Amino acid sequence: MSNSDRAQKATRQAIKRRDFLKRAGWGSVGVTGILVGVSRSPALAHPPSPHPSWTPPSDKPPKRGGILTRASAWDPPVLDPRLTNSVGLFQMATLAYSRLLRYPYSDDAKNNTDLTLKGDLAESWEGSADFKTWTFKLRQGVKWHNVPPLKGRELVADDIKYCYEAYAKEGVQSFTFQEIDGMETPDKYTIRIHLKTPNTMFLENVAEPVAVIFPREVLEEDGDLKQRMIGTGPFIMKEHERKVKVVLTRNPDYFEKGFPYIDEYRILSTPDAATRLAAFRTGQSDILGLQSLADVETLRKTNPKAVVQEVTTVLAPFGLTLSQDKPPFNDVRVRRAMSMAIDRQKHVDTLYEGHAILGWGVPYFYWQDELPSASDLGPYWQYRPEEAKKLLAEAGYPNGFATTLFYYEYFPQMTSQIQLVQQDLKRNLNIELQITKNDYTTYFGRYADGKWEGTAWGFQTGYAVSRDERTYQYVHSKSPKNYFRVNDPVIDELATKLRQTPDRAEQQALTKKLVEREHDQVLRMWMPFDAGFTIWQPHLRNIGQLDLRGNFGYGAPTLARLWLDK
Amino acid sequence: MSIYVMRRLLLAIPVLLLSSLVVFGLMRVMPGDALTALMAESGNVSPRELQKLRKDLKLDLPYHEQYLHWVWQMVTFNPGRSVFTGDAISTSLKKSIPVTIELAAMAIVFGVALAIPLGVLSATRQDKLSDYIGRLVAISGLSFPDFWLGTLIITFAAIWFSWMPPLGYTSLWESPWRNLQQFVLPAAVLGLRLSAATMRMTRSTLLEVLREDYVRTAWAKGLGERLIIYKHALKNALIPVVTIVGGQLGTLLAGTVIVETIFALPGMGRLTVEAILFRDYPVVQTNVMLVAGTLVTLNLLVDLTYAWLDPRIRYQ
Repeated sequence: MSNSDRAQKATRQAIKRRDFLKRAGWGSVGVTGILVGVSRSPALAHPPSPHPSWTPPSDKPPKRGGILTRASAWDPPVLDPRLTNSVGLFQMATLAYSRLLRYPYSDDAKNNTDLTLKGDLAESWEGSADFKTWTFKLRQGVKWHNVPPLKGRELVADDIKYCYEAYAKEGVQSFTFQEIDGMETPDKYTIRIHLKTPNTMFLENVAEPVAVIFPREVLEEDGDLKQRMIGTGPFIMKEHERKVKVVLTRNPDYFEKGFPYIDEYRILSTPDAATRLAAFRTGQSDILGLQSLADVETLRKTNPKAVVQEVTTVLAPFGLTLSQDKPPFNDVRVRRAMSMAIDRQKHVDTLYEGHAILGWGVPYFYWQDELPSASDLGPYWQYRPEEAKKLLAEAGYPNGFATTLFYYEYFPQMTSQIQLVQQDLKRNLNIELQITKNDYTTYFGRYADGKWEGTAWGFQTGYAVSRDERTYQYVHSKSPKNYFRVNDPVIDELATKLRQTPDRAEQQALTKKLVEREHDQVLRMWMPFDAGFTIWQPHLRNIGQLDLRGNFGYGAPTLARLWLDK
Repeated sequence: MSIYVMRRLLLAIPVLLLSSLVVFGLMRVMPGDALTALMAESGNVSPRELQKLRKDLKLDLPYHEQYLHWVWQMVTFNPGRSVFTGDAISTSLKKSIPVTIELAAMAIVFGVALAIPLGVLSATRQDKLSDYIGRLVAISGLSFPDFWLGTLIITFAAIWFSWMPPLGYTSLWESPWRNLQQFVLPAAVLGLRLSAATMRMTRSTLLEVLREDYVRTAWAKGLGERLIIYKHALKNALIPVVTIVGGQLGTLLAGTVIVETIFALPGMGRLTVEAILFRDYPVVQTNVMLVAGTLVTLNLLVDLTYAWLDPRIRYQ
């Protein structure tokens, strides 16, 4: 079966699945309407698009060679993986470095949601019965890039130990790696990691795209990792000219023999969206991300052979964040009233051209098999302005109140979306929202400080794949990543229990409880979002977009399996 | 003349000092710092660790110490390193200054080449069709924003001709042809905007000069039109035009960020704006001082050019 046949089949399958979802969605709309007496029928949480959500790998024999080029919006702020989780860095760092474990690539994934852990530097691993000790057996003969000062030295267990200790010592990954109580290296190819508390999901944390293994020599010689990027990954960094380009060449000594297929990958710094689009149109860029369906259709008029994959929106990264440790937001009735006063469907229809999810924070496949419909999100995600008004009056605010909101505009629709929220809250609850737009640094300085009053347009980071990151680390009251200031004993208990639960079915059930609790208490007020579409030139193979990872940002490692059919 | 130049150079010192105080103060007034920008989104950094990193980067020193340290760096031509990227600022400037100078020079050449002939044509054919066309071009240049024109050009070139300037900066010495392809469109976009003001100034001052007695005398003597306009009138009409062009050159050094962004050119504009967004104090401060110093120098050069254009002007 050819690649296009497979793609077509995938489209058909996707449509079938969507048809099912659509029917189920409308069915649930009816039931929900009867049960909660909604004033209008809530739509399906994620309406269909004409493009497939998965592109299977090619079944043709791969060809070696060629250059892949991508016009990229992102410039790495620094090259030091200890200091940033920026996608600008990891679009290339994930190709130069390796990790202990990894998630499937486009050519070894069963589908776009396949999150089966695979060995990267480790060839096998096992946990102790209490999930406090994890032992990894490393591949033998893995060589660092053949450039000074490493010169192709063999990677050994001590390298992993050194690297994880450095992460724990300082930087953005310290929280994850400070969980480690100690490490042993009984031999060159074995590392045993002891955790302070049991964590069944620790394996997922070392598979995160940011958990890359860097060499001791560079850190010791330079004092940081800001100037050189030397790893064991499929590509060697040949050139890095800030604001111009990054050139990665094939690593001939890569431990997975035969990979990568392409000789070179060029990332060209292109901050303007119109220029990236023009670069794709003229063939100067091979991969493109587009936000709206209308943009995709316009592009296809000039590039009809371009391959389009819908990026399944598995979570919403943005939402209304409340200072819920302070009045009036510490009253659940206020939070529920505000959530019910916001017409999320209007956001979907007007801002996202009907193609967006209504908003939830934990990737849906960690708590149910199919994309959630509107009713799955619970009563407080429905637009019910009359009930919202009553509830706010019960909470002691019959005439509303005034509050503030600050935000940073990640993309143009965001400002419109916030204004819609402002209108709804004013019209339905007489809540006056005074909006302040900040620049990037002002916003983060204020937001991360966690001492602000009123509300903010909050976010969750983009790199995380693991269930642990998306649950415990984002909602546990003691986690530094708990930006939404969630402080709920039930959530803490569920998140902690989740870490101690090895069985996947039980994990799913616990996560579902956690999400239901989150929605019931409106602890994080997620807003509609759409992840958009990925488009690539027709000669690219093994480039299917994977959920939560993508294929050129944090999911760039999959490019080791890409080949060019020309 | 040399005394005049010396006096102007001495006067530049308080100007530069004041500029340094303003830029230093403004950067500190803005909330957040480079570490916030770098690490906050990741969410994993404790306040204690942030404090340690701030200490490493000397961001915890009292403001007056930070200021004096920086002034000393500027005086010794050693601007230090970016706190955000860790790159040497001198290296970043060495890469970005040639880009901006080339872009600014090409834009000025393009702007002047368009503006002077159009201005002359408009002035000498006042209220005729060619005047209206010239004024329309000038108004268009003033009205079309850079981002709109740049985006339009790049989009329609791609749609209609399947072409756009090659991405990724190539220096003039590496490949002049590729470099020209990369610079011609952004320079044209900037040049069109610059030409508008220059053209209008050329037209109005030339109209004024053409009504001067000495020009009337020249006509009465029977001199040819070309000789009167280009040799006698235009030279005198150009004095305010030179002031405008000199000012434009200064503005271009830091004001090309939109065009640099659209055409993906790694110039001073992008470097400075990114540094401001990420509170990269040393980079912003150095760039602003560089622009301030250049403006002071350009103003001096413009003043000296007056004397060349109009021999009646003498400096003491």
